[in-house]
Amino acid sequence: MITPQLTAFEAQSQQTFQALMWALSYPGRAQRIAEVGVAAFAAVGATLIDLETSYYTNHAGLAQLLAHSGARTLGPQQAHYQFYPDLPTMALDDLALAPVGTYLDPDASATLVLSCHLGAGERLRLSGPGIPAPFMVNLGGLPPGFWELRTKVCQFPLGWDIFFIAHDHLIGLPRTTTVEVL
Amino acid sequence: MRLQQLAHPRHDYSYAFLDEFAKRELRRRILKAIAIPGYQVPYASRELPMARGWGTGGLQVTLAAVGPTDTVKVIDQGADDSVNAANLRRFIARMAGVQTTTDTLAATIIQSRHRIPEERLREGQLLVLQVPVPEPLTHVEPSVTRARQMHADADYALIWLELHEQLVRYRTFTGGADYPVVVYGRYLMAPSPIPRWDTPMLHQAAHLTLLSAGREKRLYAVPPYTDVRPIEFEDVHFQVESQAGRVCAQTGAVNRFMNEVPQPDGSSRYILSDTGYAAKLVRRTQGEVVEIGATYYDEQGRFYHTEFLHHDD
Repeated sequence: MITPQLTAFEAQSQQTFQALMWALSYPGRAQRIAEVGVAAFAAVGATLIDLETSYYTNHAGLAQLLAHSGARTLGPQQAHYQFYPDLPTMALDDLALAPVGTYLDPDASATLVLSCHLGAGERLRLSGPGIPAPFMVNLGGLPPGFWELRTKVCQFPLGWDIFFIAHDHLIGLPRTTTVEVL
Repeated sequence: MRLQQLAHPRHDYSYAFLDEFAKRELRRRILKAIAIPGYQVPYASRELPMARGWGTGGLQVTLAAVGPTDTVKVIDQGADDSVNAANLRRFIARMAGVQTTTDTLAATIIQSRHRIPEERLREGQLLVLQVPVPEPLTHVEPSVTRARQMHADADYALIWLELHEQLVRYRTFTGGADYPVVVYGRYLMAPSPIPRWDTPMLHQAAHLTLLSAGREKRLYAVPPYTDVRPIEFEDVHFQVESQAGRVCAQTGAVNRFMNEVPQPDGSSRYILSDTGYAAKLVRRTQGEVVEIGATYYDEQGRFYHTEFLHHDD
């Protein structure tokens, strides 16, 4: 019997998923992804969302790409997958509404895919599961007040899980990670 | 535009058997499981060409994660050559075109029924454990609905009460394999029926562990470098099965998890449970150059996280 073929779409999904899985397992450590910029957001979307899920994005170009997935578009207070290739200061009001799950269903919470700059901006110290010793990383391009909001929202087991996309790098930040701004 | 241009060439099976729709659902659940250590995430659990209860939960996780560059090892109670492990391995290899191995060090994905290899797993390795009963509260709270509420409230009084009753009745903890653990100080978790010998291996491990129950449709995770504590009291501690005095009849190894082989005269012999590790030891004694990784327990039976296990006696 011949082995089933891996189509180009399946290969992209599998590789993107591997990056997402290891990014979330080792928070703060950058994983390489094949796509750049909005295409990277679209690749994450294609890997995770379909007609069983809901999504929100503030980016018109990405909205067109994600529309093919068949997922429902919902507002930022309900959507389980939220994509922000642009992150203006006013987006913080939307992020504050994102679902954090309930104590019965903590997995019914938002997964945020945000853009950022790696190696510039605020210096952060990360600790928590997946981090053997406190991990230093510089993340920039986030609206002021972002980390205060996250600390307020992420009260384990509730909270959001974040994937940051910086050019061709992916960084995971599950709700379990403690972030200190130095 | 023609239909042929839009559709991919016809083939009998999807890559890794599951269709993309099923894999996306599994992948979403796996990511949530990693983000909430120890929390049982419900998932759809698709039909597979083998019966539920034969490792379909672990198999679905493996199939959702696997890619053509992976190397897969499948074990059943430590053995690479048991019927269950051999069939799962052959199925994964046929459907995903991956290399297979019996060497723990060479594997990127290790699917296991009820054992963790003796050699330490490293960063970037994925351990997939097959789970028959994912709910650690089952025998103290038969109602799944009430058990879910207890997890939501972090109300584990019944399990502590049972632990106390074991002490009162038997003067010792009577839990065997599948000894309940608390993950990241929050969720009580069934580590699948691994022996107590393997339970400490989940604590602050370098690798990622995913646990999946196909029949019960629940999957959960222990991320790398996460606290995993077996339930115990301040003054009475969790103990692993003592392997003292047991010497492997094949390799001469000591202080590893052993299978007992009853002999016709009523006595017992012992052989290593981890056959991949045993095969490497045998090849080394035959003069081959074999890379053998550091083990979780040393030759004296000391665990590598030196502060983790207490010895009451």
